[in-house]
Amino acid sequence: MDKRIDFRSHIPAIAIRDVYKEVTTAAGSLTILSAISLEIKRAESVAIVGVSGSGKSTLLGLMAGLDSPSQGVIELAGNCISDMDEDSRAQVRAHNVGFVFQTFQLLGSLTAHENVMLPLELDGRADAYEQAQLLLERVGLEERLSHYPKQLSGGEQQRVAIARAFAMSPTILFADEPTGNLDAVTGERIIQLLFELNREQGATLVLVTHDEQLATRCDRRLHLQKGQLIQPALEV
Amino acid sequence: MMPRLFRLSWRFLARDGRAGELTLLLVALMIAVASTSAIGFFTDRVQRTMGQQATELLGADLVIGSSRDIADAWEKEAVLRGLQVSRIVEFRSVVLAGERMQLASIKAVSEGYPLRGRLQIADQLFGSGIHAKGIPDSGELWLEPRLFGLLDLEIGQDLELGSGLLQASHVLVYESDRGGDFYSLAPRVMMNLSDLEASGVIQPGSRVEYRMLLAGEAAVLDSYVNWLKPLLGSNEQIITVQQGRPAISRALQRAERYLGLTSLIAVLLAGVAIAMAARRYSERHYDMSAMLRCMGASQRDMLVLSLLQLLWLGLIASTLGLLLGWALQEGLVQLLRPLLPGRLPSIGFKPVWLGLATGLITLAGFALPPVVRLRKVPPLRVLRRDLTPLPAQAWLIYGAAIVTLVLLMWRYTQSVALTSAIVAGVITAALTLGLLLALMLRLTVNRLRARSLNVALRFGLNHLLRNTQVTVGQVLAFGMTLMAMAVVVLIRTELIGSWQSELPEKAPNVFAVNILASDVDPLKQFLDERSLARSEVFPMVRGRLITLNAKPILESVSKEASSSNALHRELNLTWSDVLPETNRLNEGRWWDTEQRSEMAEVSIEAQLAEKLGIELGDRLGFSITGVNLEATVTSIRSVEWESFRPNFYMVFSPGVLESFASTSMTSFYRPVDQPEIGRDLIRQFPSITVLDLEVVIQQIRGIVNQVTLAVEYVLLFVLFAGFTVFFAAMQASLDERLQEGALLRTIGASTKQIRASHISEFALLGAFAGLVAAMGSEAISYVLYREVFTIAFVWHPIYWLLLPVIGALLVGAAGWWGTRRVVTRSPLSVLRDL
Repeated sequence: MDKRIDFRSHIPAIAIRDVYKEVTTAAGSLTILSAISLEIKRAESVAIVGVSGSGKSTLLGLMAGLDSPSQGVIELAGNCISDMDEDSRAQVRAHNVGFVFQTFQLLGSLTAHENVMLPLELDGRADAYEQAQLLLERVGLEERLSHYPKQLSGGEQQRVAIARAFAMSPTILFADEPTGNLDAVTGERIIQLLFELNREQGATLVLVTHDEQLATRCDRRLHLQKGQLIQPALEV
Repeated sequence: MMPRLFRLSWRFLARDGRAGELTLLLVALMIAVASTSAIGFFTDRVQRTMGQQATELLGADLVIGSSRDIADAWEKEAVLRGLQVSRIVEFRSVVLAGERMQLASIKAVSEGYPLRGRLQIADQLFGSGIHAKGIPDSGELWLEPRLFGLLDLEIGQDLELGSGLLQASHVLVYESDRGGDFYSLAPRVMMNLSDLEASGVIQPGSRVEYRMLLAGEAAVLDSYVNWLKPLLGSNEQIITVQQGRPAISRALQRAERYLGLTSLIAVLLAGVAIAMAARRYSERHYDMSAMLRCMGASQRDMLVLSLLQLLWLGLIASTLGLLLGWALQEGLVQLLRPLLPGRLPSIGFKPVWLGLATGLITLAGFALPPVVRLRKVPPLRVLRRDLTPLPAQAWLIYGAAIVTLVLLMWRYTQSVALTSAIVAGVITAALTLGLLLALMLRLTVNRLRARSLNVALRFGLNHLLRNTQVTVGQVLAFGMTLMAMAVVVLIRTELIGSWQSELPEKAPNVFAVNILASDVDPLKQFLDERSLARSEVFPMVRGRLITLNAKPILESVSKEASSSNALHRELNLTWSDVLPETNRLNEGRWWDTEQRSEMAEVSIEAQLAEKLGIELGDRLGFSITGVNLEATVTSIRSVEWESFRPNFYMVFSPGVLESFASTSMTSFYRPVDQPEIGRDLIRQFPSITVLDLEVVIQQIRGIVNQVTLAVEYVLLFVLFAGFTVFFAAMQASLDERLQEGALLRTIGASTKQIRASHISEFALLGAFAGLVAAMGSEAISYVLYREVFTIAFVWHPIYWLLLPVIGALLVGAAGWWGTRRVVTRSPLSVLRDL
């Protein structure tokens, strides 16, 4: 079964219906997300905003299939991932999804080049080496191929992470506070790169951010408050 | 799918290796394999050599003994199977030289004798011996030196044996397979077997011992023995190294057990290190696994990847370990060159396979559970760093370790009973000690904490209490390590001590037998004048054991026992007021000489009693010079046959044997540099038979020395493996400590304070571990002494004092060294890594 989005169809990139997420803690049951329903169209860019603890990252994790909801339905690229087990979700992720994180999440024991090669190697691609090199050139790090994450600046690390996220040409890119650990200037450059690549590849972009400026550059904003989606007053 | 994962596993492993993530695991595993294989290679070679030396004392790898001529068919079969064969006929006969005659022990040998060992002969009396190439030529005799004196004979003169006239061509200086019942040995005459028939000296009814010597490959010998066994009659028996030489075989057995046990301990210690290293490896790979899962790798992919990486790692480490093991044993061989026999056999393949198997089994048992857990890392960890996989289930971790333990133990002990006893003991001990420790820890640390300690020390102690379970685990691991080291040192000391006490520096090396009653006092005087240490003088009467509880003995014992040598020859019987010096009473009581009972009492040697099924209260009938006599068994003794003192199967109560004609025997120590004492003795007491065993004793001492050296070398491996455990444990907690140290320094703690807190924590940990080690080593050595090495147990109070101190020093020092990076790395670089 091809789990990539069929662009000729009108299937949304992500569809969420009546999703709840509850966790059990020592103090009892805690509702993190409640009654979330939304749709994200293909090639759309969406920012999820809200204060700390409002459930942004949890929602991102659910959309990306990294976790499963307590209740409700989530469809990712036409696959109902809320009904799937972890391994089936992993298969959907492998073919559709790329990630960029606030803390970059580069593996310290691998060079920049190897970090980018990782998803390609996992897919058994014979051209992993060359492909990763091209991607690093695209993000302007051709001089840094054999450097370890430790030897790179924050901005450079995030560029490696972006190259890695686009390595498999994902149809949906999830970004969790991509500029959260960077200064304003570097953050701006990273954002530019992210949007450029997103356009080039025609991918859907879902990002979680605190940064209002970044949020306004997206097609749409989803505002979370205490685990619930509220309609932004300014948008019609 | 598989080829992709194959490639990936290699690549990931190579990257991990380059990043230094595998070093500890690799080193721990290499030590396990290197220590088993070095010990394996070395002991394999030395054991084969020691076995070879033991076979020298037998003259062959295997001997078939019989009181009748051995069938030619048996020899043909042996030759057909490619074995070397030689024959011996041994008997006593009178030899004549002119007017003089002397009872001699004749040994007629065939071409090829001895198959193992050597003969030394000399051209002149008291000349130095040279290696004999071959056996006496037909028509010639080789004579023991004292025969020349007894017969007033010169080299080259003729001797009459039966109807043959043979020339005394050489002096027989050394015969490596000389032995047997040497109290009754007459001087040796060696002749060529082809002259035997012509001499007509063997007549029907003569008491003759026939032996067929065999040598060849162990497997061929085994199959030959299997073929032969059903054909053996009651008067034929197979004599192996073990049966032939109890003294040497016991030393060998103990050495083998010790070496096996020691290498096992080295492997177990390395196993603990591997478990610790694997846990750290696994924890440091959570991020990698989460990322791979996030990118779409399935749990199965992760499992296959982990297993493949472990397999490659196991193979690489084992290969390196084997090479290192080979180099280490080669180094040892070079080191011990002067003590080892001229040529050691080359390296065997068996240790290679065993080393490889040990490596993979150890890795699987100790590293698999934490590494397999990697597949359970939730992909959500990429968003939430605090998510870790559920800890591997306890039964899985301990189950795998216990199965590994049992497998390894069983391979070394080859005994299910011993293995289960040890494993059950270790588990019970670990549980009991664990609980006890948790309690002790709480009490001690609370008490220490209550006092106003400085902040650094308090921090160190808090560390111990914060996670009691982890601390108890660490104390147990260190404790077991120290314990293993202590047990090995302790047993080594006891073993060597007991060997040396069995063969003390001045062990009697000369036996004087056939001492006439009139010679007893003058002989004592002769020895005492020269200040020679001697054993008691035992009177000796020769007699045969003929009945058990009034039934003929051969009908009363099992078929197997009926072939026992003791039933087919005259035994040396003695009597004594007191229990002989080196004997120990196992059952019954020693007679009270004050209240002499009317009953004739006899004390029997334990092994013979067990073999013949004789118990206390049984009546034994003897035939002594045609007179029958009955005595009741009132005690059973164990005898140190290795003690080189006169030892007897049967000791009678006083008043039973005195009326029979008797001679006496004793043994004494002749200083090596005074060979003339033997000559003087023979001159002064011509009727006494003197047996000089100095050469045999030297030979045994040589074996003991070799074994001792091997034992000490092997000890080094255990110590080394023990230190790896310490190091692995330090490494395992290093990440956490780095982070903690960086934070502390950020808020203003000084390097000195942090160091002090580390040292106090580790020193206290080490002291507890020392206490655990003291308890454990006493318990284990108690069992080992009694069950494995059969040595009497003694307490070691010094251990209770010393081990906690050593533990505190060792673990404190290892901790100090292992955590030095905590204060040398800049806090910024640590915190940036978080």
